[in-house]
Amino acid sequence: MSAAAQASAEASESTGFPSAKLGMWWFLAPEIMVFGGLISAYLLFRMGSVGWAGELHHNSTLLGTVNTLVLLTSSAEYAAHIREGLVPAKSLFWAFYFGMTGLHGLHVLGGIVANACLYAVAARPGGVARYGHRAEMNGLYWHFVDVVWIFLFPLLYLG
Amino acid sequence: MKESGAHGSPYVLIWIYLVVLALASVAASLVLPKAPAELAIYFLALVKAVLVALYFMHLKVERFFIHSLSLIPLALVLVLFLGLIPDIVVGR
Repeated sequence: MSAAAQASAEASESTGFPSAKLGMWWFLAPEIMVFGGLISAYLLFRMGSVGWAGELHHNSTLLGTVNTLVLLTSSAEYAAHIREGLVPAKSLFWAFYFGMTGLHGLHVLGGIVANACLYAVAARPGGVARYGHRAEMNGLYWHFVDVVWIFLFPLLYLG
Repeated sequence: MKESGAHGSPYVLIWIYLVVLALASVAASLVLPKAPAELAIYFLALVKAVLVALYFMHLKVERFFIHSLSLIPLALVLVLFLGLIPDIVVGR
Protein backbone atom coordinates (compact mmCIF):
# COMPACT_ATOMS: atom_id res chain seq x y z
CA MET A 1 0.00 0.00 0.00
CA SER A 2 1.38 3.44 -0.91
CA ALA A 3 2.00 6.00 1.82
CA ALA A 4 -0.98 8.10 0.67
CA ALA A 5 -3.33 5.10 0.51
CA GLN A 6 -2.15 3.90 3.91
CA ALA A 7 -2.66 7.36 5.39
CA SER A 8 -6.27 7.53 4.15
CA ALA A 9 -7.01 3.96 5.31
CA GLU A 10 -5.68 4.35 8.86
CA ALA A 11 -7.15 6.48 11.62
CA SER A 12 -5.63 9.96 11.81
CA GLU A 13 -4.06 10.79 15.16
CA SER A 14 -5.80 14.15 15.30
CA THR A 15 -9.36 13.01 14.50
CA GLY A 16 -9.33 9.30 15.41
CA PHE A 17 -11.00 8.46 12.06
CA PRO A 18 -9.52 7.35 8.73
CA SER A 19 -9.29 10.51 6.62
CA ALA A 20 -11.07 8.86 3.69
CA LYS A 21 -14.05 7.94 5.87
CA LEU A 22 -14.19 11.39 7.42
CA GLY A 23 -14.02 12.94 3.94
CA MET A 24 -16.80 10.70 2.63
CA TRP A 25 -19.13 11.53 5.51
CA TRP A 26 -18.23 15.22 5.13
CA PHE A 27 -19.31 14.86 1.48
CA LEU A 28 -22.50 12.96 2.38
CA ALA A 29 -23.64 15.56 4.96
CA PRO A 30 -24.47 18.24 2.33
CA GLU A 31 -25.83 15.50 0.06
CA ILE A 32 -28.31 14.68 2.82
CA MET A 33 -29.34 18.34 2.77
CA VAL A 34 -29.60 18.43 -1.05
CA PHE A 35 -31.97 15.46 -1.23
CA GLY A 36 -33.57 16.31 2.13
CA GLY A 37 -34.39 19.80 0.86
CA LEU A 38 -35.78 18.43 -2.40
CA ILE A 39 -37.91 15.80 -0.66
CA SER A 40 -39.09 18.42 1.87
CA ALA A 41 -40.13 20.77 -0.95
CA TYR A 42 -42.01 17.92 -2.66
CA LEU A 43 -43.82 17.03 0.58
CA LEU A 44 -44.67 20.66 1.34
CA PHE A 45 -46.16 21.34 -2.12
CA ARG A 46 -47.95 18.01 -2.02
CA MET A 47 -49.49 18.85 1.37
CA GLY A 48 -50.50 22.29 0.07
CA SER A 49 -51.88 21.25 -3.32
CA VAL A 50 -55.13 19.74 -4.47
CA GLY A 51 -55.15 17.24 -7.31
CA TRP A 52 -51.65 15.99 -6.57
CA ALA A 53 -52.86 12.38 -6.19
CA GLY A 54 -54.26 12.46 -9.72
CA GLU A 55 -50.84 13.26 -11.17
CA LEU A 56 -49.26 10.56 -9.03
CA HIS A 57 -51.48 7.87 -10.51
CA HIS A 58 -49.85 8.32 -13.93
CA ASN A 59 -46.87 6.48 -12.45
CA SER A 60 -47.03 2.70 -12.64
CA THR A 61 -46.51 1.02 -9.29
CA LEU A 62 -45.39 -2.14 -11.10
CA LEU A 63 -42.81 -0.29 -13.23
CA GLY A 64 -41.61 1.65 -10.16
CA THR A 65 -41.23 -1.61 -8.26
CA VAL A 66 -39.24 -3.10 -11.12
CA ASN A 67 -37.14 0.08 -11.21
CA THR A 68 -36.45 -0.39 -7.53
CA LEU A 69 -35.09 -3.84 -8.27
CA VAL A 70 -33.39 -2.86 -11.55
CA LEU A 71 -32.70 0.88 -11.59
CA LEU A 72 -31.47 0.84 -15.18
CA THR A 73 -34.96 0.34 -16.61
CA SER A 74 -35.88 3.89 -15.61
CA SER A 75 -34.95 5.33 -19.01
CA ALA A 76 -37.79 3.28 -20.56
CA GLU A 77 -40.19 4.83 -18.07
CA TYR A 78 -38.96 8.36 -18.90
CA ALA A 79 -39.61 7.70 -22.60
CA ALA A 80 -43.15 6.45 -21.84
CA HIS A 81 -43.97 9.56 -19.78
CA ILE A 82 -42.59 11.95 -22.38
CA ARG A 83 -44.60 10.21 -25.15
CA GLU A 84 -47.73 10.85 -23.06
CA GLY A 85 -46.84 14.55 -22.76
CA LEU A 86 -45.95 14.19 -19.08
CA VAL A 87 -42.97 16.55 -19.15
CA PRO A 88 -41.50 18.78 -16.39
CA ALA A 89 -43.38 21.85 -17.64
CA LYS A 90 -46.78 20.11 -17.39
CA SER A 91 -47.16 20.57 -13.64
CA LEU A 92 -45.31 20.92 -10.36
CA PHE A 93 -45.57 17.17 -9.77
CA TRP A 94 -43.80 16.34 -13.04
CA ALA A 95 -41.16 19.01 -12.39
CA PHE A 96 -40.45 17.31 -9.06
CA TYR A 97 -40.67 13.84 -10.62
CA PHE A 98 -38.07 14.50 -13.31
CA GLY A 99 -35.94 16.70 -11.02
CA MET A 100 -35.75 14.17 -8.20
CA THR A 101 -35.39 11.02 -10.31
CA GLY A 102 -32.94 12.79 -12.66
CA LEU A 103 -30.72 13.99 -9.81
CA HIS A 104 -30.90 10.55 -8.25
CA GLY A 105 -30.06 8.95 -11.60
CA LEU A 106 -26.95 11.15 -11.92
CA HIS A 107 -25.88 9.98 -8.46
CA VAL A 108 -26.43 6.35 -9.50
CA LEU A 109 -24.33 6.99 -12.63
CA GLY A 110 -21.58 8.53 -10.46
CA GLY A 111 -21.68 5.48 -8.18
CA ILE A 112 -21.44 3.08 -11.15
CA VAL A 113 -18.40 4.99 -12.50
CA ALA A 114 -16.73 5.03 -9.05
CA ASN A 115 -17.38 1.31 -8.54
CA ALA A 116 -16.12 0.48 -12.04
CA CYS A 117 -12.93 2.50 -11.42
CA LEU A 118 -12.42 0.73 -8.08
CA TYR A 119 -12.95 -2.66 -9.71
CA ALA A 120 -10.47 -1.80 -12.46
CA VAL A 121 -7.67 -0.79 -10.08
CA ALA A 122 -8.42 -3.51 -7.52
CA ALA A 123 -8.29 -6.20 -10.24
CA ARG A 124 -4.59 -5.42 -10.87
CA PRO A 125 -1.97 -7.53 -9.07
CA GLY A 126 -1.77 -6.24 -5.50
CA GLY A 127 -4.76 -3.99 -6.17
CA VAL A 128 -6.92 -5.29 -3.34
CA ALA A 129 -4.21 -4.65 -0.75
CA ARG A 130 -3.59 -1.17 -2.13
CA TYR A 131 -7.13 0.00 -2.91
CA GLY A 132 -9.35 -2.39 -0.95
CA HIS A 133 -10.09 0.17 1.76
CA ARG A 134 -11.82 2.33 -0.86
CA ALA A 135 -14.59 -0.27 -1.13
CA GLU A 136 -16.01 0.94 2.17
CA MET A 137 -16.03 4.56 0.93
CA ASN A 138 -17.74 3.56 -2.32
CA GLY A 139 -20.16 1.48 -0.25
CA LEU A 140 -21.04 4.45 1.96
CA TYR A 141 -21.85 6.54 -1.11
CA TRP A 142 -23.73 3.73 -2.85
CA HIS A 143 -25.91 3.03 0.17
CA PHE A 144 -26.62 6.73 0.65
CA VAL A 145 -27.99 6.73 -2.92
CA ASP A 146 -29.96 3.62 -1.93
CA VAL A 147 -31.47 5.41 1.09
CA VAL A 148 -32.55 8.30 -1.14
CA TRP A 149 -34.41 5.89 -3.45
CA ILE A 150 -36.05 4.24 -0.42
CA PHE A 151 -37.84 7.58 0.12
CA LEU A 152 -38.34 8.56 -3.54
CA PHE A 153 -40.09 5.27 -4.37
CA PRO A 154 -43.07 5.70 -2.00
CA LEU A 155 -43.22 9.46 -2.66
CA LEU A 156 -43.40 9.10 -6.44
CA TYR A 157 -45.02 5.69 -6.97
CA LEU A 158 -46.95 4.53 -3.93
CA GLY A 159 -48.22 7.54 -1.96
CA MET B 1 -15.49 1.51 12.82
CA LYS B 2 -14.81 -1.72 14.63
CA GLU B 3 -13.77 -4.37 12.10
CA SER B 4 -15.49 -7.19 13.96
CA GLY B 5 -18.77 -5.28 13.94
CA ALA B 6 -18.69 -4.63 10.20
CA HIS B 7 -17.78 -8.16 9.19
CA GLY B 8 -20.13 -9.76 11.69
CA SER B 9 -23.20 -7.89 10.39
CA PRO B 10 -25.90 -10.09 8.89
CA TYR B 11 -25.88 -8.40 5.47
CA VAL B 12 -27.87 -11.07 3.62
CA LEU B 13 -30.49 -11.17 6.36
CA ILE B 14 -30.82 -7.36 6.23
CA TRP B 15 -31.16 -7.53 2.44
CA ILE B 16 -33.97 -10.08 2.82
CA TYR B 17 -35.68 -7.77 5.35
CA LEU B 18 -35.37 -4.88 2.86
CA VAL B 19 -36.94 -6.88 0.03
CA VAL B 20 -39.78 -8.07 2.29
CA LEU B 21 -40.41 -4.53 3.58
CA ALA B 22 -40.38 -3.15 0.00
CA LEU B 23 -42.94 -5.75 -1.10
CA ALA B 24 -45.00 -5.07 2.05
CA SER B 25 -45.10 -1.34 1.22
CA VAL B 26 -46.27 -2.10 -2.35
CA ALA B 27 -48.94 -4.44 -0.94
CA ALA B 28 -50.03 -1.81 1.60
CA SER B 29 -50.44 0.80 -1.16
CA LEU B 30 -52.62 -1.61 -3.17
CA VAL B 31 -54.75 -3.07 -0.36
CA LEU B 32 -55.19 -0.48 2.39
CA PRO B 33 -57.33 2.69 2.25
CA LYS B 34 -55.40 5.88 1.35
CA ALA B 35 -54.61 7.32 4.81
CA PRO B 36 -53.48 4.09 6.53
CA ALA B 37 -51.64 3.09 3.35
CA GLU B 38 -49.61 6.34 3.36
CA LEU B 39 -48.86 5.93 7.05
CA ALA B 40 -47.71 2.35 6.46
CA ILE B 41 -45.55 2.99 3.40
CA TYR B 42 -43.72 5.98 4.92
CA PHE B 43 -43.17 4.09 8.18
CA LEU B 44 -41.83 1.09 6.24
CA ALA B 45 -39.58 3.44 4.20
CA LEU B 46 -38.21 4.89 7.43
CA VAL B 47 -37.52 1.39 8.80
CA LYS B 48 -35.76 0.42 5.57
CA ALA B 49 -33.63 3.60 5.59
CA VAL B 50 -32.63 3.02 9.21
CA LEU B 51 -31.66 -0.59 8.43
CA VAL B 52 -29.48 0.50 5.49
CA ALA B 53 -27.87 3.30 7.52
CA LEU B 54 -27.20 1.11 10.56
CA TYR B 55 -25.93 -2.00 8.80
CA PHE B 56 -24.78 -1.16 5.26
CA MET B 57 -23.42 2.32 6.14
CA HIS B 58 -22.06 0.93 9.44
CA LEU B 59 -23.65 3.61 11.64
CA LYS B 60 -24.41 0.84 14.13
CA VAL B 61 -20.72 0.63 14.98
CA GLU B 62 -19.65 4.24 14.35
CA ARG B 63 -18.88 6.82 17.01
CA PHE B 64 -20.69 10.03 17.91
CA PHE B 65 -18.87 12.30 15.46
CA ILE B 66 -19.88 10.27 12.40
CA HIS B 67 -23.43 10.02 13.77
CA SER B 68 -23.51 13.79 14.13
CA LEU B 69 -22.37 14.23 10.50
CA SER B 70 -25.50 12.40 9.40
CA LEU B 71 -27.95 13.67 12.01
CA ILE B 72 -27.16 17.42 11.92
CA PRO B 73 -28.12 17.77 8.21
CA LEU B 74 -31.29 15.77 8.90
CA ALA B 75 -32.13 18.13 11.79
CA LEU B 76 -31.57 21.14 9.50
CA VAL B 77 -33.83 19.60 6.85
CA LEU B 78 -36.51 19.08 9.51
CA VAL B 79 -36.21 22.75 10.56
CA LEU B 80 -36.53 23.80 6.90
CA PHE B 81 -39.57 21.55 6.43
CA LEU B 82 -41.38 22.68 9.59
CA GLY B 83 -40.45 26.34 9.03
CA LEU B 84 -41.96 26.38 5.53
CA ILE B 85 -45.25 24.68 6.42
CA PRO B 86 -46.96 28.00 7.30
CA ASP B 87 -45.98 29.53 3.92
CA ILE B 88 -46.52 26.65 1.52
CA VAL B 89 -49.10 24.35 3.13
CA VAL B 90 -51.23 26.64 5.31
CA GLY B 91 -50.87 29.83 3.28
CA ARG B 92 -52.01 28.40 -0.09
